[in-house]
Amino acid sequence: MLAYRRGEAGAFEALYARHKGPLYRFVLRSVKERALAEELYQEIWMRVIESRGRYAVQAKFTNWLYTIAHHRLADHWRKRGLQLVDAQGADAVGHRSFEPEPRAEGRQDLQRLAAALAALPELQRETFLLHEEAGMTLAEIAAATGATVEATKSRLRYALARLREALGDG
Amino acid sequence: MADTERDDKVSAGYRALGGEEPPRALDEAILAAARKRPSRWRVPLSIAAVLVLAVGVTLRMLPQRPEAESVALAPQVMQTPRPAASPPAPARDQAKPAAGAEAAAEVAAADALAESRMRSDIAAKPTSRASAAPTPAAAGAAAESSVLAGKLARAELSPQAWLERIAELRKQGRTREAEESLAEFKKRYPDYRVPEPPR
Repeated sequence: MLAYRRGEAGAFEALYARHKGPLYRFVLRSVKERALAEELYQEIWMRVIESRGRYAVQAKFTNWLYTIAHHRLADHWRKRGLQLVDAQGADAVGHRSFEPEPRAEGRQDLQRLAAALAALPELQRETFLLHEEAGMTLAEIAAATGATVEATKSRLRYALARLREALGDG
Repeated sequence: MADTERDDKVSAGYRALGGEEPPRALDEAILAAARKRPSRWRVPLSIAAVLVLAVGVTLRMLPQRPEAESVALAPQVMQTPRPAASPPAPARDQAKPAAGAEAAAEVAAADALAESRMRSDIAAKPTSRASAAPTPAAAGAAAESSVLAGKLARAELSPQAWLERIAELRKQGRTREAEESLAEFKKRYPDYRVPEPPR
């Protein structure tokens, strides 16, 4: 990011290539609508580009990127008047955007897992996705989401319990 | 990460959901936006442009001054208003180019002398101009004659050449123009002895 800030366009391309998939999936599985996810995803990168001048090496780029993403999603939820996802809404059209493909795990298990993920409360799902997609530690997730480590740990624990249950392992 | 919170089966299941990637068009739009980042010269160039504009506007707002050369050559001419009978000279007559500086200096000096004399003459005889004023009925023709008289006055002729030109006008029957020009001549050279026109 510092190289990009100095004017090396190639540095951004390398960053983008490394983070685009995880960030895209994080957004897509957070909002559950592909068109909206693409819009938010682009806005997050635009904020990264616009904020490059303010980037300081205080944390990993990943943490900075997902902090921006968290704020953008929080804005989105606030505008929609949502703090926590409605469990009933998990079966709505939204989660078709990441319909699982048939794999060795078994189609039904994956469908249940996808439905359980979509049904998670927003903060739990966000914590789980930051953990799985961004590979962030509890402390990093806590910093990015403005929560305490204990609260983050609790959210992740609840999320994992529900997902395990969906896989028939609860 | 506290790995006590990790569940390998859930992680594997999650991975199996698929590895969606953003559409290529979205990638290209974002990368294009990143490449379009402002150059480091944009801000300095903007400041320079604003400064140039400000200086330009300021210079335009300053009062217009006559060219220094013209002032040096004919300060009195530049500051003395011409009489009403003589239309104002075009700007090019007032600001002579440097190439004819010597001749211009002579003409300007003569003009200045003549005008200062004329002004004193007008002050002494305030009615003389009134009597020379054209009647309303002949205003059009008089205006034309006045123009010619003014032209002769500005033609930088010597007094003798000017009088010869007046005599020529008389010969051509252009009496009114000759009279106007003569009146102008007398204003310009009040002390010059003008021979009586042939009757």
